Amino acid sequence: MTSTQPVILGEMPSLSKLYVNAAAQAARRRLLGTHEGSVLPAESHEVRGVTVDVATLTAYQHLIGETASDVLPAGFLHALAFPLAMSVMNRDDFPLPLLGMIHLRNSVQQRVPLHFSDTLDISARVENLRGHRAGTQVDLIAEVRRRGSGEICWLGISTYLAKGVFLPGIDKASAAPARTEFTAPDPTALWHLGVDTGRAYAAVSGDFNPIHLSVLSAKALGMRRSIAHGMYLAARALADVGPSRGDSFTWDVEFDAPVFLPCTVALEINSVEDDAGAWSRSGFVAWNPRSGRRHFHGSVGAL
Amino acid sequence: MSIDGQTTAGPVEPGKAGTPATRRAVIVGGNRIPFARAGGQYAKSSNLDMLTAALDGLIARFGLQDERIGEVAAGAVLKHSRDFNLTREAVLGSALSAETPAYDLQQACATGLETVVGLANKIKLGQIDSAIAGGVDSASDAPIVVSEGLREVILDLNRARTLPQRLQVLSRLRPKDLAPLAPGTAEPRTGLSMGEHQALTTAQWKVSREAQDELAFNSHRNLAAAYEAGFFDDLVTPYRGLSRDGNLRADTSLEKLATLKPVFGKNLGAGATMTAGNSTPLTDGASTVLLASEAWADAHDLPKLAAVVDAEAAAVDFVHGKDGLLMAPVFAVPRLLARHGLTLADIDFFEIHEAFAATVLSTLAAWEDEEFGRTRLGLEGAFGSVDRSRLNVNGSSLAAGHPFAATGGRIAASLAKQLHAKAGADGRPVRGLVSVCAAGGQGVVALLESL
Repeated sequence: MTSTQPVILGEMPSLSKLYVNAAAQAARRRLLGTHEGSVLPAESHEVRGVTVDVATLTAYQHLIGETASDVLPAGFLHALAFPLAMSVMNRDDFPLPLLGMIHLRNSVQQRVPLHFSDTLDISARVENLRGHRAGTQVDLIAEVRRRGSGEICWLGISTYLAKGVFLPGIDKASAAPARTEFTAPDPTALWHLGVDTGRAYAAVSGDFNPIHLSVLSAKALGMRRSIAHGMYLAARALADVGPSRGDSFTWDVEFDAPVFLPCTVALEINSVEDDAGAWSRSGFVAWNPRSGRRHFHGSVGAL
Repeated sequence: MSIDGQTTAGPVEPGKAGTPATRRAVIVGGNRIPFARAGGQYAKSSNLDMLTAALDGLIARFGLQDERIGEVAAGAVLKHSRDFNLTREAVLGSALSAETPAYDLQQACATGLETVVGLANKIKLGQIDSAIAGGVDSASDAPIVVSEGLREVILDLNRARTLPQRLQVLSRLRPKDLAPLAPGTAEPRTGLSMGEHQALTTAQWKVSREAQDELAFNSHRNLAAAYEAGFFDDLVTPYRGLSRDGNLRADTSLEKLATLKPVFGKNLGAGATMTAGNSTPLTDGASTVLLASEAWADAHDLPKLAAVVDAEAAAVDFVHGKDGLLMAPVFAVPRLLARHGLTLADIDFFEIHEAFAATVLSTLAAWEDEEFGRTRLGLEGAFGSVDRSRLNVNGSSLAAGHPFAATGGRIAASLAKQLHAKAGADGRPVRGLVSVCAAGGQGVVALLESL
């Protein structure tokens, strides 16, 4: 644990400003040379007294396929904390370039259900800078508590990869583990994702990253087409697991290959019951039904 | 005697029609979300959202997580075509076992009560041991349909195979076809709205403005008192920040109600008496009722509030004005009570749905009318009087609001609780009567008895 005082922000930072700032920072670093540090900022960022806009919540729930209950979906909390998490990676002393980072995996513990009328304290920090065969990876930790309470109700760990960035003193991870061949199972669902999928999720999550919005804006950033938000896909899988997950659960996802829009995604969701017949976990895997390439996989488990 | 009406048969031996010598179906309890005024807190919530919310509250209250219920039935009056399996979808979105079957039902405003009756009958027959009845409606998130012209063009366009064919179909489109149509409350055969229909009945039975305002005032007063007494603590689960019915005006007064301008029957001139205060507003909400056999309730250690004894449906020929649109319960109740050898005096609590204050008062007036009793009900005189102190004692639709299909479930659960409490206090069986009028000149009524 660090004894460093958190940086308390007056309000939730604006994502669009963060993206602009990140672009400016990238240009600056290109001109002036990269930031030489291999150390992560120790300070966490925190916003206190965050409230939820019920209209945004309902729109999110409808888009993801959750019924509009008063309980905040785990993915909605991720979206709520996301700008704060970005603000940590946007700091000048953060050693990796924010733009172009790839979301490798995401792990959430929904420990206590949160209600839309709860006032929330949200904090975010970065940890665990380490090597990857293709660059450098880092964990972004976000925590959500009820206002003034010490108890963590929601904990999210997002692992990002800065591709092609190798920092001094950070060892390259050993060679990639032998890739297990993916054989597509029989699908239990098909998602038909329109070209506007990214824009629709941007509208309810606030994440207007240009790679998700349109073919043109994605091409400007070097993608061949726009791609779906990873957390949109993961949240839909969580919604498809359904209410058997209960109020507290873990939700893990690993992203394998981007989902280019528009497309059809095949999905298999299975459930495992314990000896008493109660639900214990559900696994999910999604792939491209044409190429057989795996897009993402993960699980939801009882906590 | 030959009458131009709907005759009433006498009592029926148990084991014959009406009261089958089967087992009891009991109301265990209920749960609803507070009713919101249209465009209010639930404006963005769909029927599916609200029905699931009401269902989830019921599941939490009675510990029904992962339970395979015998059958769930619910419905909505204003329904999107995508919601063809509304109730089953709500079950799948709830914590009930995914192996719980469900069906949708639609009988206009009687939908909710009819789900209670139909499922209770299945329990009585031994087909199922447990059931959840319910209903939901959103006047805010109502379906908007395209015009007939546009609909036909779209369908024909789908069938057209060549470009010239498609262009030919498109050329039929007129600007007026592009205007969307919102659902109305007008009766298809008369073009009159429900309020206009009731205004005619109100005038026919000479129901005064003062009597209507007094009924509305009592509805608000009784509902507010019931909330204050905690009566709804185990009947209502808050949703979207609302913990009491949004239409409730605890501080309303006869003076305030008297200031409102008439909105229905304005063509009647000075005879117009129906205002926004003594008519129900458009409302959003959902309700559910848990029904069971006695054995199932006992095995699950759950309460048994009241038995669903019997029910009766009726319809009237309102199209050419023989009876008022909302007067079918006037015929259903005498038939139901006669089958059990009961009169109005044998009923401890009346729940007469307040579509309009005047609907309730026209119903009571018809029952008190000697000639109507003789010529239309085939009785020797008037059917009888309802003791006003037993009428809608915890408030009704004028105060709570009326999300069409949700009203039956609201009434059934509240009345069952009221009967159980009264029976416990008095140490005797207590009877309750539910009466719900519906569009199309229909009505469903039901008889409950405390356990």
